[in-house]
Amino acid sequence: MSRVTTSTLEFPYSRTLGPIVGSFLSDLREHRIVGIRAADGKVLFPPLEYDPNTGEALTELVDVGPHATVVSWTWVDAPTAKHPLDRPFAFALVRPDGADTAMVHAVDAGTVEAMRTGMRVQPRWRDEPRNRIDDLACWEPVQ
Amino acid sequence: MSEAKKETLVMEHLVSLRYEEELTPILERYVDALIDGRIVGHKCPQCGRVYVPGKGYCPLCVVETTDRDEVQVADTGTVTGFTIVTPVAYYGQEETEPFVYASVLLDGADSTLGGQDIVNIPRDEVRSGLRVRAIWRPKEKRSGNAVTNRGWGSVASVIDAFEPTGEPDMDRAKFEEHIF
Amino acid sequence: MNDIAIVGWAQTPSVRLARESEVQLLVPTVAAALARANLDRREVGFTCAGSCDYLTGGPFAFVSNLEAAGAWPPIAESHVEMDGAWAMYEAWVRLQHGDIDTALVFGSGKSSPSQPAEVWAQQLDPYYLAPLGVDPVSLAGIQARALIDTGEATERDFAEVAARSRRNANDNPNAQVKGGPSVDDLLKAPYVRAPLRTHDLPPISDAAVAVVLARGDRARALCERPAWIRGLDHRIEVHQPGMRDLTVSPSTTLAARKAGYDGGPLDVVELSATFSPQELILREALGLGANANASAINPSGGPLAANPVMATGLIRIVEVAQRIASGAANRGLAHATGGQVLQHNLVCMLEGE
Repeated sequence: MSRVTTSTLEFPYSRTLGPIVGSFLSDLREHRIVGIRAADGKVLFPPLEYDPNTGEALTELVDVGPHATVVSWTWVDAPTAKHPLDRPFAFALVRPDGADTAMVHAVDAGTVEAMRTGMRVQPRWRDEPRNRIDDLACWEPVQ
Repeated sequence: MSEAKKETLVMEHLVSLRYEEELTPILERYVDALIDGRIVGHKCPQCGRVYVPGKGYCPLCVVETTDRDEVQVADTGTVTGFTIVTPVAYYGQEETEPFVYASVLLDGADSTLGGQDIVNIPRDEVRSGLRVRAIWRPKEKRSGNAVTNRGWGSVASVIDAFEPTGEPDMDRAKFEEHIF
Repeated sequence: MNDIAIVGWAQTPSVRLARESEVQLLVPTVAAALARANLDRREVGFTCAGSCDYLTGGPFAFVSNLEAAGAWPPIAESHVEMDGAWAMYEAWVRLQHGDIDTALVFGSGKSSPSQPAEVWAQQLDPYYLAPLGVDPVSLAGIQARALIDTGEATERDFAEVAARSRRNANDNPNAQVKGGPSVDDLLKAPYVRAPLRTHDLPPISDAAVAVVLARGDRARALCERPAWIRGLDHRIEVHQPGMRDLTVSPSTTLAARKAGYDGGPLDVVELSATFSPQELILREALGLGANANASAINPSGGPLAANPVMATGLIRIVEVAQRIASGAANRGLAHATGGQVLQHNLVCMLEGE
C-alpha cells in the first residue's frame, strides 16, 4: 500500500488597498456600491485603478446599483468550502444599474429554476463587514 | 469616512491550499527503510555520487537511477554547515527558542540532510566539521509523515536530531564541497 | 526572424496520477527531445521552462525541475510561471539575438496533488475575485451560457466537440480520455456547472513535454524536416471577466494576424480549448467557423482528452510540429492559452520548408 502525504500551504495576506479599492470597500461597509468613470465615459464596475484601454489613472467614482441585472450565470450544485455560500448557488456576472460592466459574484437564488439571464437582483449585506468583497455577501432575486 | 481613512484600510486574506499525494515509489522505499532503522540513497551509475534520499536521477550526470542503484549509508556523519536560528513570531512558526539548523553529510553520502538539529552540545560549540550520529526514535514512535515528494522532511519523524560522537573533527578538505 | 525551427520533441503520456515526481517525468522527456534533435545537452545555448509551483505545492519546484536539463556546468536559463508555450516564446526571442543557435524548452505539470479549483482561484484578482473562491469551471460555465444566449451555439454543439475529441484521442498514445460516445449519450449526463457537463470539461492530468529549437543551417543539420516557426505572437485582454465579451476572442484573432496567419489553408490546427465551448469561440476567432474542416482540428484529441496544465499549450505546438516533420502536414497553427476563459492567447504558425 502506498504512503499518502498531505500538506497545506498557507499565506496570510494583509493587503493594503489604496485609494480606489479602499474607497470601494469602505463604501461597501456603508451599503453603497460604486463604479469608476473610464476614459471613454463608461462606468467600469468593479472599479479599476487604471483605464484598461488607455492606461491612464482613473479617479471619478460613480454611484451604481443597488439593483442589478444578471448578464450570465452558471449553477454550482456542490459548493466547496472556498465558495461564498454553503448551499447550491449561481456564480454570475452581475451588472449594477448605472454600470457598463459586471462583477463576478454569487446569486442566492435557491434553485436553478429561479435563475435566468436578465433577471433582476439586489445586494445582501454581511452583518459584520471586514473590508472584503464579500461584505456584499451575495446577490439575491429582487423581492 | 475620511479620504485618509479609506486609503489605510487593509484586507485580510488567508490563502490556504491543500495537497494530497502518494509518495513516489523511491521515497516509499526510503521511508520503509528509515522506519526499519536504515538510511538509503541512490548511487549514480556514472559518477558514483550517492544521493540521500534517491531522486531517481543524478542531477550532475542527468542519468536515471533505480532501485538497482540503491545503497545504504551510515547514520553517522559530519556537520558541513549550520546556522543558529533565532525564531521570529510569524504565522505558522512553532519554535520559540533558538535552535541549530545544520547540514549533515552522512558517511557514504554525497548529498546532505538539511535542517537538522544538533543536541547534547552547547549551541556556541556547534561547528563545521563536527562529527555526529543520529538519535533515532524508538521504533514504535517512527513514522514517515514528515517526508514529502518535495524533498522537505528528509528524516523527520524518525530521527529527531544528531549528537556529537566525540571523534576528532573532520578535515575541511573532505567536506568543503558539501556545505549546503 | 522566421528561420527558427522545432527540431526535436518528446512528451509523456498524460495520466490522471503519475507516481513519479515532476522531475522524474522531465528527465527522460528532455533526454528524448535532445536525442531526436541529435543534440548533446552541453551544446544547448539557452534553456527555458514553464511550470507552476502551486500545482505541486512545492516552493522552488521549478528549480528542481531544472535538474532535468542538467545545470552543471552552469547553463543560461530562464523560467516562466506559465505554460511551456510561453517558455518557447522566450527561447524564440532569445535565439533572434543571433549569438546562439539552439535552445531547449520544456513544460510540465502534475495537477494530481492539488485541488485545481483552489489553486487557480489564486490566479485571479486578489480583491474582487480570489476571496470568492471563483474557480475555472464556474467561469467556463458562465462563458458557456453567454455563448448559448447569443444563439450561436447549443449544448449539442458542445457535445459534438467533446465526442470528436474522444474519437481523435483513440489514435493518440499520449491522450488520457478516449472513446466513442454518441452525442445523444453525452447529453444524458447531468450538469456539473450548467450548461457544462463532465465531457465539456478537461481531465486532471500529469505530464511533461520538451522541445528543441534551432536556427537556420543548424536546424537543417540536426533534423531532416524541421518544422519552421513562421510566426509567433501572443496577446492578452483585460483581466476582469465582466469587462470582456466572453463569447469572442479578439486577442486570438490579433495574435494570429501578428503571427502571420493570412486566413489561408491549414493542414492541421491544434487549439488549447480546455472547455468545449472554447473550441467554437477560437474557431470563430481564427475564421475557422462552420465551414472549417472540423476533423483537422485537434487531431490529438486536444485538452479535452489530456490537460496537463503548464504543458497543454506546448503539447499543441508539438502535435503540429510532429505532423509537419513526418510530412503528413505542411502548414499548421497551434494555439496556447493562459489565465481564465481565454484571457491570454498565443498563436504559433508552423510550416515545412
